[in-house]
Amino acid sequence: MLEILIVGAVSSAIYAMLAVGFTLIFGVARVLNLAHGSFYALGAYGAYWLTSSLKWPLLPAALASIGAVALFGVAVERVFVRPMRSSQLAVLMITLAVALVVEQALFLTFGSEYRNVPGFVDAKVTIGGVDVAGSRLLALAVSVVVIAALWLFIQHTRLGSAILAISQDAQAAQYVGIPSDRIFSVVMGISAGLAAAAGILAGPFLSVQPTMWLLPIVKAFAIVVVGGLGSIPGSIVAALMLGYAETIVAYAASTSWTEIVSVLATLLMLVVRPAGIFGRRAAF
Amino acid sequence: MLRHRLDLAAAAVLVGAMAVLPLVFPSNYLIGVLTVSAIYGIWAVSWDFMSGLTGRENFGHSLFIGVGAYTAGFLNTSFGANPWWSLPAAMVVSVLFALLIGLPTLRLKGPYFALAMLSGSVIMQRLMLIFWEHTGGEEGINGLAPLIRSQLGFYYFVLGTLVATTVVLLALARSHWGLILRAVRGDEATCQAAGINVTFYKIASLVISAACAGAGGAMYAHYQLQVSPQLFAVVTSITIITMVYVGGMGTIYGPVGGAILLVLATELLREFGEWRLMVYSCALILILFFLPTGLVAPLWQRLRGLLRRKGKDPLVPVAADVMEQQA
Amino acid sequence: MPADHSGLSSPSLPHRAAVALGAAALALGLAAPPALAQGKPIRIGVPTAMQLQVGRDTQDAIKLAIDDINAKGGVLGRKLEMVVADETENPETGISAIKKLTADEKVDVLVGGYTSGVTLAQLPHISAAKTIYLGVGAASPAITQKVKQDYDNYKYIFRVGPINAANQARELTGFIANFVKGELGISKIAIVGENAKWVQDLVPVLKKGATDAGADIRVTEFFDTQTADFSPLFSKVKDSGAQYLVVILSHASSDTFAKQWYDSRFPMPYGGIDVKSMDGDFCDRIGAKSVGQMAANFAVRAPLTPRTIPFFDEFKKATRRSPVYTAFGANDAVYIYADAVKRAGSTDTAKVIKELEKTNYMGIPGVIQFDEMHDVKPGNASYKGPSFLLAQWRDGCKREVVYPKTQRTADFKYPSWIKQ
Repeated sequence: MLEILIVGAVSSAIYAMLAVGFTLIFGVARVLNLAHGSFYALGAYGAYWLTSSLKWPLLPAALASIGAVALFGVAVERVFVRPMRSSQLAVLMITLAVALVVEQALFLTFGSEYRNVPGFVDAKVTIGGVDVAGSRLLALAVSVVVIAALWLFIQHTRLGSAILAISQDAQAAQYVGIPSDRIFSVVMGISAGLAAAAGILAGPFLSVQPTMWLLPIVKAFAIVVVGGLGSIPGSIVAALMLGYAETIVAYAASTSWTEIVSVLATLLMLVVRPAGIFGRRAAF
Repeated sequence: MLRHRLDLAAAAVLVGAMAVLPLVFPSNYLIGVLTVSAIYGIWAVSWDFMSGLTGRENFGHSLFIGVGAYTAGFLNTSFGANPWWSLPAAMVVSVLFALLIGLPTLRLKGPYFALAMLSGSVIMQRLMLIFWEHTGGEEGINGLAPLIRSQLGFYYFVLGTLVATTVVLLALARSHWGLILRAVRGDEATCQAAGINVTFYKIASLVISAACAGAGGAMYAHYQLQVSPQLFAVVTSITIITMVYVGGMGTIYGPVGGAILLVLATELLREFGEWRLMVYSCALILILFFLPTGLVAPLWQRLRGLLRRKGKDPLVPVAADVMEQQA
Repeated sequence: MPADHSGLSSPSLPHRAAVALGAAALALGLAAPPALAQGKPIRIGVPTAMQLQVGRDTQDAIKLAIDDINAKGGVLGRKLEMVVADETENPETGISAIKKLTADEKVDVLVGGYTSGVTLAQLPHISAAKTIYLGVGAASPAITQKVKQDYDNYKYIFRVGPINAANQARELTGFIANFVKGELGISKIAIVGENAKWVQDLVPVLKKGATDAGADIRVTEFFDTQTADFSPLFSKVKDSGAQYLVVILSHASSDTFAKQWYDSRFPMPYGGIDVKSMDGDFCDRIGAKSVGQMAANFAVRAPLTPRTIPFFDEFKKATRRSPVYTAFGANDAVYIYADAVKRAGSTDTAKVIKELEKTNYMGIPGVIQFDEMHDVKPGNASYKGPSFLLAQWRDGCKREVVYPKTQRTADFKYPSWIKQ
């Protein structure tokens, strides 16, 4: 029971990091960025490359990787997303193509084998009789801290207010002088950074290989829609629901059924209450 | 009208070229590639008919394809039925699935509809893997019998089906059906207020789309001679959407060109060895970026405009053309 | 040339002559006298997963064999050459790869393969193309069963490696009976395998054999190939009371599995069939977290046959990598084919098949002979065919053969955190 609680929490935390970034960019720019999974992959690969090829210590490597991916996110927004923003489908398709290019680049550079992102913590921790890898607990802790920090940032800074304003009414925000284009880039950078951080945290105990971007983005898509497109609290709640649903099914039945349960739950939610838990009108 | 004659001429040239190509360059490889591209053409055209016209992008088209293919697989191997029964059976089963998933998701659109359909295909893929004892799991069902022994014969059959499907769907799209479907994309509430049975048209277009896709799936199964869960994959749906996009959404004929182009491209790019998919993805980015309305349909429209100006017919008054410009 | 304003110009005389010459050359080229065909190279088509390690090693191993044979004068005076086509892990791409190689590139023989599902899908198309196929990577018994069921259509199919899944199950049963129970004294065993058909076919055989030998199979679990988080699985295994974990992994995330086993200091050793663990750098890739794991290998750098060590060294020298299992089959397949062609006196398919059936070749993992289903015969006490060895990863990411006892290079060592 305790084990389910802990493992479920870790899964939910990683999903939440991914979903929050995804929903942020949707809430603000009303685009679905399928390259989001690529940011996750690039974060992990960046840390891998810096630590194994350039022999950097882990913390600087992690921070550098997050920074680089954030900049890459900004670049993707400027070059590919901005000109296409008029059509949601166009942005979907081009970010998908970007994701494919990134996947192939990773294949060609690093090969198809699974790569190793070193963990910050190597030890094993025993909580109430349950053996948990230290790296998992760290992932949980850092995710909570980061999301909390993001929340505070949005609620209490000027930039955060600007983001809130744009997500509520983009045109009105522009009327009061908020530079929406610049904000989009910043939000994309934050979103990419969050995904990269998730990749670095999860890398030590999950798989790091070139196709690692697809499954997370499908899950993030489901979480974000179930939680309510554009709503951060919604994404967090939905991430918890999904993480726990999967964990409970895995322990109770078998891992083969986890995906069906979460997908079925998503489908049900869409049929019953398409606007998601928190609805799509409420942004934050 | 010269415009229609030009369209007909171009179609005839294209179909003629596709039919004659394997005779000029006799090679089972070429026939194979063309057959697969024609089947993808059927899938792309069926997607465009529903999603391209109504604007409700279906990210789970692979559901109907997979269901059609597996129906063919089971009928042929478990029940020993004659392969020709697969086609109507696949269509029936696909229609059932279309109703199953279409009815509850009627009021959804945009990313919500996309996700709901995607969920449908993912669930089926998982079920195929979970019940591996009956479905062959990862390896799928092998040993299907071919529909027509001759490779060339089967190719002509598929080509004929593609042409027939495109003609029928194009006719529907140009009739009041197409008008209503496009109106639904524009403003559904107004349509309902005008007394149109929007529900019927939405379901009907999904059902037609599914039936064509299912039939295509059955043909594919009897061509590859095997069925695997990969047919249900998200990647399959996305590949088809890409083909429609490159072809020109909503044009019905564009996606056919898009499908043929992209299937040929993936094969021709084998020259690049390991770099094949990289080159393909980069080319895709360039097309998506510089040609947001697609490659095939706008190209044809441009060409047609040029040819018309060289022809004797004066440009037809704008009013009658406006609706036609869409298709 | 006179000024021409129509936008077209009639080809001038020299231009026409050039075209005529070109046409003549083309005609001559196409109608090459049959005598020249003697020097025409023998083309080996390689359908393989180019982006994966198994694919790269298949190609490199074939290249080594081709270079060696060509340096010694080729086969019947003809040189060998290789044409590769990517089959990925997708049946559709696999089928089109076969068509490209047979119908377009017109190869004389096919050597390759990896995923059983793809190979099974390719079989009817290989048969239709009437081209010999020497498999090097797929283990499903269903592949060679067709040879017996429908010889006329499927006689082209041979498997040079690995030994098929049923044989692997038998070997694994031996491992459980003789080593896990016999030497370690552990009888409570858990079996975990990925959700692939060959595994699902293998496990019942394994369970029966192990139970007959006195083992107590506490739990059997299958998991999805895409699973990245094994905690629920580990939890079930631990709760079952088992003391040794037998795994059967091929496409699944073995790296992640090993990392999670180590990170949570899972209280039992594990071992079995783990294809990715055959990679020379598997242990290094995951920060030495697989130390203690026992994995089946079809060959290691040990004198299994006179060919084994020289091959490992040649391969390492040429590619600076340690070969994976497809390399053994690929390299052997080229020599086997070349020998069969020499004996047959031509590349005529029917004659070569007859000769291939008589193969008796000293290969890398063992002596290669084919049974009536054209499947490589596994080794046993009296026959030095390929079998598998279980090697354990040790400190410094070195491998030591622990089973079978006859090939042992070091004794088994428990993972550091397990007190035994």
